[in-house]
Amino acid sequence: MQTFTDAYRFRHVLLALTSKQLKAQYRSMSLGFFWALLNPLVMITVLSVVFIWFFGQGAEHPARVVVALIPYNFFTYCLTGCATSITNNSSLVKKVWFPRQILPLSIIVTNIVHLGIQSVLVVAVLVAFPTPGHILGLQLLWLVPLLALLLGLCVGIGLLSAALTVVFRDTQYIIQSTLTVLFWMSPVLYDSGGRFAGPGRPGWVEPLYYLNPLAGLLDSFRRVLFWGASPTPLALGLATLGTLAFGALGIRVFFRHEPDFADYVK
Amino acid sequence: MTLAIRLRDVSKSFRLRHRSPFLARELLRAVMQRPTRVEVFWALRHVSFEIRAGEAVGVIGHNGAGKSTLLSLVARTARPTEGELEVNGRVAAMLELGAGFHPDLTGYENIFLNGMLLGLSRREVAARLESIAAYADLGEFLDTPIHTYSTGMRARLGFAVVAHVDPDIIILDEVLGVGDAAFQDKCRATLTRFRAAGTTMFLVSHQPSNVRALCERVLWLDQGRLVADGPTEDVLARYREASQQLATRTAAARPAAGQSGTTPGS
Ligand SMILES: Nc1ncnc2c1ncn2[C@@H]1O[C@H](COP(=O)(O)OP(=O)(O)O)[C@@H](O)[C@H]1O
Ligand SMILES: [Mg+2]
Repeated sequence: MQTFTDAYRFRHVLLALTSKQLKAQYRSMSLGFFWALLNPLVMITVLSVVFIWFFGQGAEHPARVVVALIPYNFFTYCLTGCATSITNNSSLVKKVWFPRQILPLSIIVTNIVHLGIQSVLVVAVLVAFPTPGHILGLQLLWLVPLLALLLGLCVGIGLLSAALTVVFRDTQYIIQSTLTVLFWMSPVLYDSGGRFAGPGRPGWVEPLYYLNPLAGLLDSFRRVLFWGASPTPLALGLATLGTLAFGALGIRVFFRHEPDFADYVK
Repeated sequence: MTLAIRLRDVSKSFRLRHRSPFLARELLRAVMQRPTRVEVFWALRHVSFEIRAGEAVGVIGHNGAGKSTLLSLVARTARPTEGELEVNGRVAAMLELGAGFHPDLTGYENIFLNGMLLGLSRREVAARLESIAAYADLGEFLDTPIHTYSTGMRARLGFAVVAHVDPDIIILDEVLGVGDAAFQDKCRATLTRFRAAGTTMFLVSHQPSNVRALCERVLWLDQGRLVADGPTEDVLARYREASQQLATRTAAARPAAGQSGTTPGS
């Protein structure tokens, strides 16, 4: 509890660090906030060209990918940013006391701003490209718990990776390789919906797949935003459990080692 | 009289690792039940003392004696490995020149960051901004990023912020004695004013003149142990004597190494 009131007392520091990061990322580029859109825009262009023209996918494919790609990007930016958030501020951590969770949290807040900007793009793509379902509907309310789960997952894994990076030098490399695997283990470029049914597919494959909480979350985002439907209970249920587990683990590991961070950083 | 700082049998150890740990290897060793051996270095051993509110206490000792470690425990950037530590009141610590400054931010932005890290709210910093700027007396340099500042300029800015936070306890680690003579006088005047106002002071300084001018009591650390705790003049005299003896012994050891001796009789 103390940890949360501490963080609240230092909220001004959190905001200052966040605005510093946003400024550092955008100041040098005259494109300004447009930069946040550039990466996903390039991705969408490539997707349209490659998948629609070369692979003969339907015109709805960019929309199908974008609704999962943007949350996936949010996750990876949070994870890689949080991982180095303590070690990149070693002089601060060594010489000044403040609630250390401020550092990873400011990375997450920075990325929430990016996500806000990029959601404009999601809307644009959903308008510009056809989708199979009626998107405007009550199922959009699912976005509230879905975004909360995504945020919880990012906070949990962010705190965990920040603490591990302080102690273990190779954490960053492990994260990089894990992310490569995770990209293909999660439904970003493909739609996992309905692929688990059918002859020759044992029943345990689907729950196993959704043990990756990101898989369940991205699948649910796509169900809501692309198919205009509610998330499947299995995907959403396991994603919730996974988020709670990672959240608890991250908070536990981080706050257990937080008072000793200064002894480790260089 | 209320207690500001109390240490009871406090020890602090650091793990010395010859190789920095890798997560992959540690996990493997954990699985194979072969824990890594770590060498432990005790930087502080069984240190006990109490400082009453309003006291001004200096810490002396050779390099590596554990002075900075002791101050970092009181400032909360590190925690004791053993023993009990109690600190009552708002602490403003300057454990290093320019601690809590971000090189890319301007002087003004750093005043905000530093002030908020020392526990002020944004509004409180804003209210004191003019006074802080006047104290630092850096003119238009306050608008430039502080990586362009000299050491003395950084000291000015850092001290200007600390001088404006009204702490109950002020902790300084070898930050006096930087900057020009006029600024040093200003620092000393400020600290004297703090003392008169009842602020507890806990500081490390290599200049006996500073210790004498500011502290009524001195702690002498040697190899992590508290070897003396008493009135300033007494402890300084004993320290000087011990240092001279050490110098004499070192000088006496030289002829034995084969050189012609000009050793004073011992
Ligand atoms: N993070 C650390 N890891 C390992 N050893 C450390 C660390 N910090 C300090 N030490 C060791 O602890 C001892 C005391 O250091 P310090 O308190 O900085 O001495 P002083 O300030 O009196 O010169 C030194 O021998 C130093 O090498
Ligand atoms: Mg020192």
